[in-house]
Amino acid sequence: MTLSETFRTLGWLVRDTFRQSLAYGIFWLLLGISVLCISVCATLHVSGSVALDQGDGRDFLPRNDPDARDAAKAKASGVAIVAGEMSLAFGAIKLPLDRDARDAVHFVELVLAGGVADTLGLLLTLVWTAGFLPGFLDGRSVSVLLAKPVSRGTLLAGKYLGVLSFVLFHSLILVGGTWLVLGCRTGIWELAYFWTVPLLLLHFAIFFSFSVLLAVCTRSTVACVFGSILFWCVCWGMNFGRHAVLAESYEPTHAAIAGRAVQLVEAGYWCLPKPADLGVLLYDALDAADSFGQLAAFHSVQSHGDFHPLLSIAASLGFMLLLWVAASRQFAAVDY
Amino acid sequence: MNTSQIAEFENVSKLYGGGLPGRAPVRAVEEVSFAIPAGEVFGLLGPNRAGKSTLVKLLLTICHPTSGRITRLGRAWDDRRTLARIGYIHESQSLPRYLTARGLLEYYGALAGVRPLTIRRRSAELLERVGLADRSREAIGRFSKGMLQRLALAQALLNEPDVLVFDEPTEGMDLLARRLVYEAVREQRQRGKSVILVSHALGDVEQLCDRVAVMREGRLAYLGPLAELTWDAARGAKRPLEQALESLYEVACP
Repeated sequence: MTLSETFRTLGWLVRDTFRQSLAYGIFWLLLGISVLCISVCATLHVSGSVALDQGDGRDFLPRNDPDARDAAKAKASGVAIVAGEMSLAFGAIKLPLDRDARDAVHFVELVLAGGVADTLGLLLTLVWTAGFLPGFLDGRSVSVLLAKPVSRGTLLAGKYLGVLSFVLFHSLILVGGTWLVLGCRTGIWELAYFWTVPLLLLHFAIFFSFSVLLAVCTRSTVACVFGSILFWCVCWGMNFGRHAVLAESYEPTHAAIAGRAVQLVEAGYWCLPKPADLGVLLYDALDAADSFGQLAAFHSVQSHGDFHPLLSIAASLGFMLLLWVAASRQFAAVDY
Repeated sequence: MNTSQIAEFENVSKLYGGGLPGRAPVRAVEEVSFAIPAGEVFGLLGPNRAGKSTLVKLLLTICHPTSGRITRLGRAWDDRRTLARIGYIHESQSLPRYLTARGLLEYYGALAGVRPLTIRRRSAELLERVGLADRSREAIGRFSKGMLQRLALAQALLNEPDVLVFDEPTEGMDLLARRLVYEAVREQRQRGKSVILVSHALGDVEQLCDRVAVMREGRLAYLGPLAELTWDAARGAKRPLEQALESLYEVACP
């Protein structure tokens, strides 16, 4: 096959994945979640915000601070008192502002990026897309495709790219839609919020590779669903464990115990994908430190210079590549 | 490289399984050697588990030979370009039920390397021919079994194949679908193209095939013209194919 024919074939396989997602109803499920999030954002309103980002070095006090009770005194000394509130669902839910409107929008975007997209959305998407490959690889349907001039590697890559495109499409709708609506409602346009899309896609791509390997080996949706979630949990545990053990090892009293454990967890950490590190990267990319506290162990590892974002991503991608090689070799060798 | 042959098997064996402890490998095909010349309707016969479908799957790279050499349309087995010249249907074929009939032909045609304009032209022609033109935009999940079989036939013919491979094509087919398969085979013969027909339906074989290979327990029990197989030399008369096969099985595996 020529390069253009290969691209054309990949295009058809991507298109087929979208049609499959429409038929399975997964397209509409994810779209429903995005529309719900966009609708919630459309009802957001911020009132009484005090501008705190003017670069004039003005201090501010939250309204419940004892010193803020004397508003006249505070005003005279150039201290702003935060007295605004954020409302959702057209005023049904009201939350006092901790800082200003920008901070409130940032908080909502962090919840959407870290909670909805990168945790709940990722796991749900892993579960919902787990049936795509086993359905495609079913012996009765794939045998006709295997008798076409397209190589098995291209077939597998096409479906994989199809699922990634599907996730990219929906993450763009979620992030782009909420960003647009929040911007229109508040006039605050946080471009850093878009870091969610590539990081979520990378996160998904790594763990979906494991699902692909399971699909090729077992052709079972159940194995793919439970296997990929279990694998994510194991990787998250190993990732968190490494940071926790390392943080512990910084304490002089625990150095002897931690010293042995560190070698073990370091080996596991560098071998496996690192979902928690991707969370840390998202946390940093979105500048979440003002709104959410970081886990103490993660903070400790970062402050000791033992967190290497690029190496972490490279190692995760390396593992993904290994999974891919294993899946393609297995698919190339399997008999139907 | 022999381009006058559509397929050549040389000492081909295929063992399934045996990877797990306690599970003995199953020998599906054993030391089979024969060639299928171009331009004829070739039948592959034999009882269940004789290795007929495995031979077809081996030819089409759906499974891998354990040993031996296979050439397809004069080229090496792993040269996938030759698969673009083949159309294939098998009995338990399952088509993606979320596609429309036209969508399925476009998708399968693209994977077969057919040009987009040709796909469009051929899809319209074939859907008309198999009686699905008026339902071409409907999801095939709503189609009856007969309609799906006709659609499967259309996808096999989309690339105007040099070789049509039918694995039990008329199994469970309605009359219309069966007639369409017969037409497709005859048309293929008229065009000087080839057909490989795997079938239990001896009536189909008698009506359509020029030469046959009879498989028995993974081995080749007979290879030659159908007329020769059905000729009873002792009586000097033609006998039914079923009777000929029975006597052949007795000789091959007494």
